[in-house]
Amino acid sequence: MIWSIAWKNVWRNRKRSLVVIGAVTLGTIAGVFTAGMMKGWVNQRIESIVYTEISHVKIHQPEYLLNNEINYTIPNIDQIDRYVENQPNIIGYSKRLKLMAMAQTSGGNTALMLQGIQLNEEKNVCRVHQQLVENGGTFFDTNMSNPIVISDKTAEQLRIKNYKIEPETLDSLKILGVPDKIIRKLKTIENERFITEKLFKKAITSTLSKKGIKKYGSLIVETSKHYRLNSKIILTFNDIDGELIYQTYKVCGIFKTANTMFDQMTAYVLRDDLSAITGFGRTDFHEIAMIVNEETDPGQIRNEMREKFSGLSIMSWKDISPEAAMMTSFMDIWYLVIMGIILLALAFGIINTMLMAILERVKELGMLMAIGMNKKRVFRMIMLETIFLTMVGAVIGMVLGGILIAVTKHTGINFSSVGEGLEAMGWSAMVYPDIDFDFFLLVTAMVIVTGILSSITPARKALKLNPVEAIRTE
Amino acid sequence: MNVIEIKNLEKIYNGTAIQVKAINGVDLNIEEGEFTAIVGPSGSGKTTLLNMVGGLDSPTSGSIVVDKTDLSTLNQKQLVDFRLHNIGFVFQAYNLIPVLTAKENVSFIMEMQGAPKDQIAKRTREILESVGLGNRMNSRPNQLSGGQQQRVAVARALASKPKFIIADEPTANLDSKSTENLLDIMEELNRKENITFIFSTHDQRVVKKARRVIVLEDGKIVKDEKK
Repeated sequence: MIWSIAWKNVWRNRKRSLVVIGAVTLGTIAGVFTAGMMKGWVNQRIESIVYTEISHVKIHQPEYLLNNEINYTIPNIDQIDRYVENQPNIIGYSKRLKLMAMAQTSGGNTALMLQGIQLNEEKNVCRVHQQLVENGGTFFDTNMSNPIVISDKTAEQLRIKNYKIEPETLDSLKILGVPDKIIRKLKTIENERFITEKLFKKAITSTLSKKGIKKYGSLIVETSKHYRLNSKIILTFNDIDGELIYQTYKVCGIFKTANTMFDQMTAYVLRDDLSAITGFGRTDFHEIAMIVNEETDPGQIRNEMREKFSGLSIMSWKDISPEAAMMTSFMDIWYLVIMGIILLALAFGIINTMLMAILERVKELGMLMAIGMNKKRVFRMIMLETIFLTMVGAVIGMVLGGILIAVTKHTGINFSSVGEGLEAMGWSAMVYPDIDFDFFLLVTAMVIVTGILSSITPARKALKLNPVEAIRTE
Repeated sequence: MNVIEIKNLEKIYNGTAIQVKAINGVDLNIEEGEFTAIVGPSGSGKTTLLNMVGGLDSPTSGSIVVDKTDLSTLNQKQLVDFRLHNIGFVFQAYNLIPVLTAKENVSFIMEMQGAPKDQIAKRTREILESVGLGNRMNSRPNQLSGGQQQRVAVARALASKPKFIIADEPTANLDSKSTENLLDIMEELNRKENITFIFSTHDQRVVKKARRVIVLEDGKIVKDEKK
């Protein structure tokens, strides 16, 4: 019956309760959604670290790691091949030849870490082949000789990317809903080529109004972007004997990952092309990258391989990027902190409401104590009422927050306005929020604790009442 | 048999300037089955006396023994429990729980006593029927008239099977018809089920029905008349 009274008491002053419930609902939505967004971000970052940048387990010759000295190739590749063949848990296995190179075009130059890959192997380990930009060519699906896949960032540095408003660009923009007034203005810079995004933006800023830029700026920039595929790049690097050699490569694809730093450094060429000119043999590799299945702990594979191949440097992604590994456990604490702060703020509102409720019911509480309701029951009644009040808002908040996450998990949230800064740090500008069911259990527990703690002050106030005086209250 | 034995009871309130003797040496026995009215002008000590008899207030000196239990030997926790099991209360302002129905207001006290569920349901119905509210069991207090609410309060007081019922000005807020009705019900319960009632009242209609009238003045019993 105490439960029933507590529940009914929540609805005595409907308006006041609804205000508190509304606040708790909004607070919970904010907490759940923020946690979901952060989790989504962390998941994406880790996925990017594992499936784009590092892989689960990496093998090198230890000396190679000191200075990327190309002579330190991995010995006994055959043995490793055989070991991996008999390991069903290893689902991706790619051997790479890696060389530092200087890339040059007539427009610019940049340093690159060339990854000499074998296409079939690499596709099972690294997802860069799925991250080509729009109209950015292919991932080595070409007959051209010496193809190279570079990043969008490198393309910009080598002036392979440019911006130009062509008649087709204007047609596309029209289809995409850009008003005629803006199209007419854009015609003033038609067929003019801009070699950097900055220059192009400057040009359209001087042409269009502020409002137009805000609404259509990024769309115009994206649509006017052109890559000069098949452009030639001259790469300079050392061959196996340490001689400086030059080779011309043709751009066949442009990729863009969430990590600008990785993009800036990385370019892919075919392993056979690279070995042909540098003189490396069929079994010469600098790096092996592996992906294990979901049930397997990469650490376990690392340990097993360390035992078997004692002279090699074998590291899991957590060894290579400990800060990312730490991020996952740190985030769990961070969600709690966010939720804790929100609930703490809400607790003051809840305490206030409950104090008001107690004040209004002095006479009734006096009567209950007079007829024999002991302190334990009075406390329990007020505590339950507070928990119910908090829980109603929290449950609605969790459901709405959950729905919001479920929707945005598919559509994603675009932070491209601040994306440049994020991507420079390796964080995607497009976030797909995600949440574990466990988090909801945790929030429920926290809400109950908040309810209990918030009920202490009002309950103490009630317990201090003297029944004789309380009954006489008007 | 005496349900209540009061010996040399005193209650002194210490004000800032003067001491007020609210109860000044009261000796009183109440027997089982009595239908007693305590009357007297405002400030004569009626409510103070009833509060002490009901274990809500403690005397400055003297003793109150209810059914062989000296109330002064009980601590606060034991007193609450004692009230729950031994004393029924009816208040001037009904004091029902507004969010509960008549039925729930009555059964609530039995639940606190830990009575079995089926027994609670049966007794609740019986009691509400005995106060003439068998057809209003599911009404909330705000759907009932003042007289009906006070009858629910009587039913609630009865529900715990108390040794006696204390009713502090139970008719003060009622019209004459409701007062008549309530008094008839209480009188019948007293007669048929031998339930002891003690009223404090100003109401002459209550005094007329009472079989014993105790008159208090300045905290002293000045008249004790059995009809």
